[in-house]
Amino acid sequence: MADEALFQFLHNELIQYVYKSSEQGEMENARCITKLENMGFRVGQGLIERFTKDTARFKDELDVMKFICKDFWTSVFKKQIDNLRTNHQGIYVLQDNKFRLLSQLSAGKQYLEHAPKYLAFTCGLVRGGLANLGVKSIVTAEVSVMPACKFQVMIQKV
Amino acid sequence: MMTMLGGEPFLLVSKQEQQNYPLYIRSVPSDSELKFHYTVHTSLDVVEEKVSAVGKVIVDQRELYLGLLYPTEDYKVYGYVTNSKVKFVIVVDSSNTSLRDNEIRSMFRKLHNSFTDVMCNPFYNPGDPIQSKVFDSMVSSMMVQTC
Amino acid sequence: MSRQSNRTTESKKMNSELFTLTYGALVTQLCKDYENDEEVNKQLDKMGYNIGVRLIEDFLARSSVGRCHDFRETADVIAKVAFKMYLGITPSVTNWSPAGDEFSLILENNPLVDFVELPDNHSNLVYSNILCGVLRGALEMVQMAVDVRFAQDTLRGDNVTEIRMKFVKRIEENLPAGDE
Repeated sequence: MADEALFQFLHNELIQYVYKSSEQGEMENARCITKLENMGFRVGQGLIERFTKDTARFKDELDVMKFICKDFWTSVFKKQIDNLRTNHQGIYVLQDNKFRLLSQLSAGKQYLEHAPKYLAFTCGLVRGGLANLGVKSIVTAEVSVMPACKFQVMIQKV
Repeated sequence: MMTMLGGEPFLLVSKQEQQNYPLYIRSVPSDSELKFHYTVHTSLDVVEEKVSAVGKVIVDQRELYLGLLYPTEDYKVYGYVTNSKVKFVIVVDSSNTSLRDNEIRSMFRKLHNSFTDVMCNPFYNPGDPIQSKVFDSMVSSMMVQTC
Repeated sequence: MSRQSNRTTESKKMNSELFTLTYGALVTQLCKDYENDEEVNKQLDKMGYNIGVRLIEDFLARSSVGRCHDFRETADVIAKVAFKMYLGITPSVTNWSPAGDEFSLILENNPLVDFVELPDNHSNLVYSNILCGVLRGALEMVQMAVDVRFAQDTLRGDNVTEIRMKFVKRIEENLPAGDE
């Protein structure tokens, strides 16, 4: 049973690795974010495969999203999503008021610009989990006030 | 994936964007290759139908095991679909009456468990054909047991 | 067969799988980024080192171990406390050298390699090499320079996984450690 702290250390090192081997600039930053997101995606696929092995079949899209917010989030981050909103037209906003992976970052304004790096992997995690359940999506995240953040899931109609 | 049980194949496919193609096939060469391929492709359509049936209660929608899909003259076809839309199909010779429902269920469970492990192998790229030695030996032992 | 999953045990297991799968994603990313297995092994070691120099603080804060008096004590703490705390396993400490400066950690199972099947084109990959770096970095922070390497690896066909640790020398207190 791997300790939670170990994952945090690994996650941080992942980010350092991806950014260390890149140059400055917006293009590079986007590339790094994508790299992290893609890694999260593959992990999300695997996690969901394992986790839904013994669960009943999902009824619909909302059923899937609730699963992500409750069971999935609890297993991965030890807590549920604090607030789920949807416009019932394929857009969901998942709010985590105390996102665990941001806990390492100080709350100062100068660190806000680094926050996206710490959210990219998780965006991928969600997108990968959903993808493996047959739900295609685009997942983005933003931080307004540390350590709270919002994940936006836009379902893509195939 | 196809394995021969009492001389019959079973197939594992994955639904990828409306196309069905096999991720893994294992079979013992038989004389009725053509008939067998036809059965396999038909069975995938039936699985599709069962899972997307709206308002009809063909099968308990919450269960992953779909049971006997349809009997044909020569074969009995069983289906199973995971939450991740991966379809498993077991095709058994009609003359095989010794294989019971719970044995079939158990085979699907084994397949599902092994497939989940394959998905968690970081060197496996989802959507690629399965080339796992562990998966192979699980299938082999299952075949030995039922033949 | 029950269709309901036991959520608590599933929860715990999944958390461990998050680490295993994330590590897998890292290794495969490195394999894409670097030409050969040797380079990947080096990177894993470096990254492990960076983790180790920080992990030690977490470890000292959460365990109640005091200063180790000798290398044997260190070995026991690593196997019985550290590995247990972070990976949930307790490797055995064996194969001490006559001088008492080298020993082996035998891991019956290694959570990092759960579900992993090494493809044929990566025969030189030391998949779990990050562990060597972590141990090296952590011990450097408590003034011990060590050499750590894998002697046996279940992924490459051995029966067990064996990590060999050799004490090199004591480090002066005021040498700063940077990232590699």
